[in-house]
Amino acid sequence: MFEQYTDPQTFAKIVDWPSVTAMWRNSVSVYAQNLAVEDGETAFTYAQLDARVAAMRGALKAQGIERGDRVGVFALNGCGFVVSYLAIVTSGACAALLPPQLDGMTVAGLSRMFGLKALVVDAALRAKLPDPMPVVCIGTDCEGEPAEAVEVQPEDPCVIMFTGGTTGRSKGALLSNRAVMTGTKYGCYGIKNVFEQRYFLVLPLTHVFGLIRNLMSCLYTGSALHICRNNKDMFREIAMFRPTVWVVVPALAEMALNLSRQFKRNMLGDSMKTVICGAAPVAPYLVREYHKLGIDLFPGYGLTESANLVSGNPDNLNRPESVGLPYPGQELKIVDGELWLKGPNMMDGYVGNPQENAAAFEDGWFKTGDLARFDADGFLYITGRIKEIIVLSNGENVSPAEIEVRFNELETVQDSLVYAENDALTLEVVPRNAVLMQLQKEDPIAYLREQIYEVNRTLPTYQRVSKVVVRDTDFKRSPSMKILRNQK
Amino acid sequence: MNRQEIFEKLKEIAELTVQDPSILASMCEDSDLAADLGLSSVGMLYIVIAIEEMFNIRMDDVSFGDFRTVRDVMDYIEQKLKA
Repeated sequence: MFEQYTDPQTFAKIVDWPSVTAMWRNSVSVYAQNLAVEDGETAFTYAQLDARVAAMRGALKAQGIERGDRVGVFALNGCGFVVSYLAIVTSGACAALLPPQLDGMTVAGLSRMFGLKALVVDAALRAKLPDPMPVVCIGTDCEGEPAEAVEVQPEDPCVIMFTGGTTGRSKGALLSNRAVMTGTKYGCYGIKNVFEQRYFLVLPLTHVFGLIRNLMSCLYTGSALHICRNNKDMFREIAMFRPTVWVVVPALAEMALNLSRQFKRNMLGDSMKTVICGAAPVAPYLVREYHKLGIDLFPGYGLTESANLVSGNPDNLNRPESVGLPYPGQELKIVDGELWLKGPNMMDGYVGNPQENAAAFEDGWFKTGDLARFDADGFLYITGRIKEIIVLSNGENVSPAEIEVRFNELETVQDSLVYAENDALTLEVVPRNAVLMQLQKEDPIAYLREQIYEVNRTLPTYQRVSKVVVRDTDFKRSPSMKILRNQK
Repeated sequence: MNRQEIFEKLKEIAELTVQDPSILASMCEDSDLAADLGLSSVGMLYIVIAIEEMFNIRMDDVSFGDFRTVRDVMDYIEQKLKA
């Protein structure tokens, strides 16, 4: 289904690689002199990065790291992180990527829980860690005698990724080489210009959106990645680096739009052609506004547990509310409204968590907890979360997200939340001030309420809200910008 | 640039990130950035980027989390502009 959105030459180059090692070998061979990564202090071509990675493999080997071992990475975004990650996985080991905002005691605990044999640590974070640590620590700048990459099987563990999520405890999702490479390959579908692009990273590399859709997509396609280490400098660095692709969460995409409005120029520059947007629901408003800037903003859907991508929307202008078409090889089914997934991109399971695994899987299918539907052309729509279903005393089951998306279509609404209160539905909205100001209404909030009322009238009676609260602050959000429903 | 001009420019920046127009109307030097202006983490990032752009300064020597009120921000900008 994606062939029609990609030129034949590009489509033919989107191939399977059995492991990160195999993919990396190919990329170094084909793109040796291309810029691979830079972070403002350091820059590597593919050949230079390969040499640095080989030296780090040597350092790991000297510590006794072998195929099948687990090695943690506790580092800030930067070239050091990339070197460490590649060295570990091309040594045949599994990289446990620990978010840098974790405190030292948690890192120590996770090192034990995950059975790490070593921890590669940024100098900037070393002071956080307790002394002694239960595991040997190696600096991200360590080098040894260059060591050869190790061949692995597709089913060999590649990374342990922390899940974000809006409810429940964080878990470590184990992704195999096959899963990581499938998730990486998926990112190539549905975009016109895929190979040898210029990517700009603002997302954490410890999140699948940063690791797979940013870093791995770059390395797979011979693209260059600029790692922005302080997000306040992003637009200055965008002006210098001139990226063509930006992978970003909706809140940052909206921020860039508002700054462009504030300073009356496109802050993303004229080189930017593609924005890949996900990790939280994408408002159709963003698709339309970015189109006016000459930029294609593509919504998508995926999870940590699916090695990031499940679907991508190449028909963004016609169906901006959809999360797109499922990628080739992704199996999906809808069971009682819930989306279940199977495929080569899926995780092996949560590390050391048999209870969660038993709850998450059934007959080999992963139960996402997301409510979904397809349209007649096979485009996927996420309509809510199972755990968020409201059951009213009249027996009606209401998915708040299905209602929220209708109000979020209003340009004057930035975000909304529906919940039950006294057995009726309440709507809270965060107004989109930038648009309200432009409309120059005498009473902007009254105007907003009128618009909300008009939408409410069009809903089936069981979905209509009884009370509307216009907020003066944003909702409480998770690190990946999802609304924390229970804490709002 | 005098202090009143700095305040007006900050208000211009706040227009596109503070959610409620009535909060903007009551914004003053004593306004608490989080409690009164209701700035989220992305909102704070917006403000920092916009300040650097608007005033042509770099805020590399400070963390925005160190500022509590609009006055704190204005004092910092004033000091940077004099340097």
